[in-house]
Amino acid sequence: MLTMDNVRKTYVVGDVKEEILKGISMSLHEGEITALVGPSGSGKSTLLTIAAGLQRASDGHVLFEGENMTTMRPEQVRNIRASKFGFVFQFAHLVPFLTVEEQLILMLDVSASKMKKNETKQEINKVLQLVGIEHRKDAYPSSLSGGEKQRVAIARAIIHKPKVLFADEPTASLDSKKSNEVMSLIRDLTKTLKMTTLIVTHDEDMLRYADHIIKMSDGKIL
Amino acid sequence: MNIALKEIVKNKVRFSILGSIILLVSLLTFIISGLANGLSQDNASLIKDLPSGQLYMNKEAEGTYNLSRIDPDIQEKINSQQKEAVAFSIQMGFLNDESGKQRSVAFVTSTESKLFQKVKPGEIVLDRSLEEEGIKVGDTLTHDQFSGKLVVKSFVDQKKFSHAPVAYISMENYKEIYRTEDMQLVFVPTAESSLLFKDLQSFSNRDFLKTIPSYSAEQTSLNMIIWFLVVISGMLFGIFFYMMNVQKIGLFGILKAIGLKTSDLFKMMWTQMLFITLSALALSITFSQLFTSLAPKDIPFILTIETTLQLAAVFLIIGFIGATLSGIQMKRVEPLQAIQQGEV
Repeated sequence: MLTMDNVRKTYVVGDVKEEILKGISMSLHEGEITALVGPSGSGKSTLLTIAAGLQRASDGHVLFEGENMTTMRPEQVRNIRASKFGFVFQFAHLVPFLTVEEQLILMLDVSASKMKKNETKQEINKVLQLVGIEHRKDAYPSSLSGGEKQRVAIARAIIHKPKVLFADEPTASLDSKKSNEVMSLIRDLTKTLKMTTLIVTHDEDMLRYADHIIKMSDGKIL
Repeated sequence: MNIALKEIVKNKVRFSILGSIILLVSLLTFIISGLANGLSQDNASLIKDLPSGQLYMNKEAEGTYNLSRIDPDIQEKINSQQKEAVAFSIQMGFLNDESGKQRSVAFVTSTESKLFQKVKPGEIVLDRSLEEEGIKVGDTLTHDQFSGKLVVKSFVDQKKFSHAPVAYISMENYKEIYRTEDMQLVFVPTAESSLLFKDLQSFSNRDFLKTIPSYSAEQTSLNMIIWFLVVISGMLFGIFFYMMNVQKIGLFGILKAIGLKTSDLFKMMWTQMLFITLSALALSITFSQLFTSLAPKDIPFILTIETTLQLAAVFLIIGFIGATLSGIQMKRVEPLQAIQQGEV
C-alpha cells in the first residue's frame, strides 16, 4: 500500500546541516497497524509527515499504490491527502465554529465525496456510532471533553473511507483510560475498514494495539 | 456546506462589530459625498448646468473671470463663426428688497441664448431660494448703482453661483450698474478644447469651475475626506481579517493538512467580506437616502442613488483588496507548523 525506500531528510540552518532521517526503508500493509516508537528527536514524526505528503523527503522515494509521491506536483499530493489519507493528531484540531456533524460534512466536501445528501446523513450517523459519539452530533467542540474531541477527530479522519490513516501521538493529550479507548477504536477501525495505519507514539503501553512495531533512534530504524 | 457563513453565525458579535464600523464609515462617506455635491451645486450650478463646451476669457485676466473683458470685435467674430456662442457676465452684488433689506446675489446677464434667461429692462429673474426667503413675483427691488427699479418677473430652480442666488438682469441694466460695455466670458456649447481664438484663453466647464474662488478648496477638502474614509474602510478590512487570520493560522494549517485548497480558504474570506460589506452597505444606503429626504432644506445636500452605488462599488473593491492582502499569510501557512503548534 505505502512503501518508503531509502528516505532521507536533511534540514539546513545557516551553515549547519542536520540529517534527521538517514535512509529509512519500510512498507505498510492493508488492515495492519504499524507503530513508530523511539525517543524524542529520533525522527519518527518527520517520517510520518513525509509518508503523509505533508513535507518532502530530501532523498529517496515514497510510493503510494505504486506511484512515486516524491515527484508529484503539490496539487496531486493534496488530492491524495484529501481523498485517500486520514489524519489524527496529538490535538483534535477541530474547526471551532462547526458542530460535530458539520466537521464530518466538511471532510466529505474536502475529499470531493460523491455521496448524495441522504447517504451522507446515513454515513455520518454510522461513523459517529462507530466512534461512540452519535449523541453529541450537534455539539460544538467547545462543549466536548478531550476524549470526545479526539473521537470526533478520528471520525473526521475516517468518514471519507481513507486508504491510509496517519496518527501522530493520538493519545498524548489523554489520560490512560481514554488513551486505551482511542487506541482500541483505531485498531477496530483499521481491521473493520481494512485501512493501513501508521501511528507514532512514545507510550509503550499503546504498542500492544500494533501489528508491527518499528523502533527508531537517531534517524535510523533499529 | 458554506463554512464562511457558519463562522459568521457562530461569531455574530465579532462580525457585527466589523459590520457596524463599515456601516458608520460608509454612511459618513455617503453623507460627506452628498454635502460635497450639494455645496458644489450651491457654488456653481449656473456653470455646472451648462452643456459640455468651452468657456473663454481674455488672456490678460490670467484665469480670474471677474478681471476678464472680452473685446466686442472678438465677440462679434466668435458670434459670426459659432451661431450657438453666448457672451455673458457674472458679478457679485446686492439687491434691496421692498423692506430695504439687502440680499446678496450673483448678477448674470447674457447675449440672447436658450442657456440663459431672457430678461427685459426693468425686470429681474431670481433663483427660487429667494422666493423661499419671502420675495414674490411682482415685488420691486432696487440697487444702489441703478437709477430705476427691478420688478421680479419669475423664479428659476437651483441657479447659484459662489453660494449666492443668481439674479438675471437685462444687458442694458447690467451696463448701467457696472458701468461697462464689455462682457466677461464667452461660452461655445459643444466646442472642443482645440477651438481657439486670438487673445482668449479657453477653459472646459470643469476647468472653469476651478477658477471660481473657494470652489477648488471646498471640493478638494471634501473629496480628500471621502477618499480618506474609503482608504480607512479598506484598512479596516485588512486589519480585521489579518487579526482573524492570525488567530486562525493553526486552523488553516490543519484544514490544509486534511486537503483543503488555499483557494477555498480565500473563497471563505471573500464570502465573509462580501456578506459583511453588502449588509453594511444596504443599511447605510437606506439611511443615507432617508437622510436625503429628511435633511433640512438649508443644508446643501444632494446625494443621487447613482453616486451612492458608485461609492458602494468602490467600498466593495477596497474591501476586497484589504481582505485579500491580509489573506496572503493564509497562502504561507504550512500544515506542518500548525500540527506542531498544538490545539487551535
